[in-house]
Amino acid sequence: MIEVIDLEKNFGPVQAVRGVSFSAPDGRITGLLGPNGAGKSTTLRIVSTVLRPGAGTVKVDGVDVAVDGNRARLALGVLPHQSGLYPRLTARENIRYYGELNGITGMALDQRVAELVELLEIGEFADRPAKGFSQGQKIKVALARAMVHGPRNLVLDEPTNGLDVMATRALRALIRKLKEAGHCVLFSSHVMQEVAALCDEIVIIAHGRIVARGTPDELRKQTGESDLEEAFVKLCGTEVAA
Amino acid sequence: MNLRKYFAVFYKEAIDNLRDRRTLLTVLVFGPLFGPLFYTVMMSTVINRQVADLDQPYTLAVQGADLAPGLMDYLRQNNLRIEKAPDDPRGAVKTGKLDVVLVVPADYAAAFSASRPADVRLIVDKSRESAGKNVERVRDAVERYSRSISVLRLIARGVDPRALSPVVIEDADVSTPQSRAVLLLGMMPYFLLFAAILGAFYLAIDSTAGERERGSLEPLLTTAVSRSTLVLGKLSAVTLFSAVSLGIDIVALLWCQHLIPAAKVGISVNITPMTSLTTFLVCLPFSLFIAGLLSVVASFTKSYKEAQTWLSFIMLVPMIPVLGLVMFPMEPAWWMMLLPSMSQDVLITELIKGEPLQPLFVALSMVSTLVIGGALSALAVWLYKRERILG
Repeated sequence: MIEVIDLEKNFGPVQAVRGVSFSAPDGRITGLLGPNGAGKSTTLRIVSTVLRPGAGTVKVDGVDVAVDGNRARLALGVLPHQSGLYPRLTARENIRYYGELNGITGMALDQRVAELVELLEIGEFADRPAKGFSQGQKIKVALARAMVHGPRNLVLDEPTNGLDVMATRALRALIRKLKEAGHCVLFSSHVMQEVAALCDEIVIIAHGRIVARGTPDELRKQTGESDLEEAFVKLCGTEVAA
Repeated sequence: MNLRKYFAVFYKEAIDNLRDRRTLLTVLVFGPLFGPLFYTVMMSTVINRQVADLDQPYTLAVQGADLAPGLMDYLRQNNLRIEKAPDDPRGAVKTGKLDVVLVVPADYAAAFSASRPADVRLIVDKSRESAGKNVERVRDAVERYSRSISVLRLIARGVDPRALSPVVIEDADVSTPQSRAVLLLGMMPYFLLFAAILGAFYLAIDSTAGERERGSLEPLLTTAVSRSTLVLGKLSAVTLFSAVSLGIDIVALLWCQHLIPAAKVGISVNITPMTSLTTFLVCLPFSLFIAGLLSVVASFTKSYKEAQTWLSFIMLVPMIPVLGLVMFPMEPAWWMMLLPSMSQDVLITELIKGEPLQPLFVALSMVSTLVIGGALSALAVWLYKRERILG
């Protein structure tokens, strides 16, 4: 469960996030949708404790990220914008390293890595250096790495960026599987179809503010548009006009 | 700090960078071996040539040799062969065909018999350094001839030639063959510190700016590891690489000393394994210092390239005190022990001379370098705690 309450963040004179509140419950997929530069990544980076909130609070399973970052991080698995694998380490070593950093060692780590290799179908390239991986392979390994310590909450920043159709489908199936296992999945995207296909709840963000939220159906109703993309444009557009 | 996580970071950085061929070559080969090997080959060649040349006869071109038979005999006794100079002696020297031509003018004999100063001319090209040795050899022989003639003339006139030497200087050189080793090995501290710096160079960049450029820093910061543990693990790996490079350099020098024919020029180079070990221990704090310095600077930079540019420049900073001591030689003093690189330079020089180290100096050097290194590490930790670290 991730709760974001009145979150604000400035970078110098730029107000990147201006009072964002939402919550992403367990067993649900929550999508953060917005045009480029809307404040999605900044919000997710604060949730993942890489940036500090300017004002407001973020709680992960009830733990305030600004108060006890380490405990919050243990409850979080993060797939950042770039996969950020170490090119000279193999897939398995990349995953193991994060396991160790999150306090898993020995047999438990071996077992966990083996599980993830199977779950994410990494086996074929598990012992190759990450240097030559395709985008899809990189995302898989980065996801395994984010999940190595068995976090309940997953934060995915534009996970399907650069994936081909097959890889995107496989990833979607996986995210659904995680949801069914009771995980809280929070992910961001600027692609409407992506969010519509996957999310239980959509939070639309533009210019650092939340402009609408609800299930895909609710959003269609709210705007009177049958097409979600039109609804999206309308919602973001009203913000620009305001 | 969590020790297990600290070692995980340390181990990962070490293994990861051992797989990088450029880092590996720098740490194991270029940094530690290039200096000593290059220097050994150079010194051996120079010494061997100098020693060999004096034994070899040199063929001197002389114009008007017939006019000065006495001088010619003297030169021949001094291992110089006399040959007739070419028609254009100036041209021959200018083009480098000959190093030096001795010209005996027509009025030489008359002046000589009349005991007036008899001129001879040496045609030389001062801009050609390689000719210098032969020119000096000829000049030296002619001057010695001149002195011996003057002594004979004085005796012939019933004057004691010693009257011409009212004051005689006698050098009492207290240097030992071992302490003169510093003339040969004065470059050694430079090589050692340079190896320590190069060993740290790529790892310092890779673990900071490189990590950011690959986009692996952000996910790394989302793991449940404190930033101080992270930075200290990285710094330890950088320090280790620096120390390995330093160690290899010291072993290389231990081996190379036998290849320099130092005895031929009256110098005894005697670096014992014990000296090497002491050198290593004295330099070890410098590895921590340089790891801290390079990491702090690399943390400011945005990319691998930018870090490389800055660090290439920063690399030279520790060399400034070393070069300063070359230009303005000074006796070891306590304040020198407070400056990293200068203190190591001074201590290594003492070791090469075979002088006993002052325990106070060693303690001051190690403590001050460690304290400054520790402060830089603390600064690196602080830099990593800022949001700006993500760039």
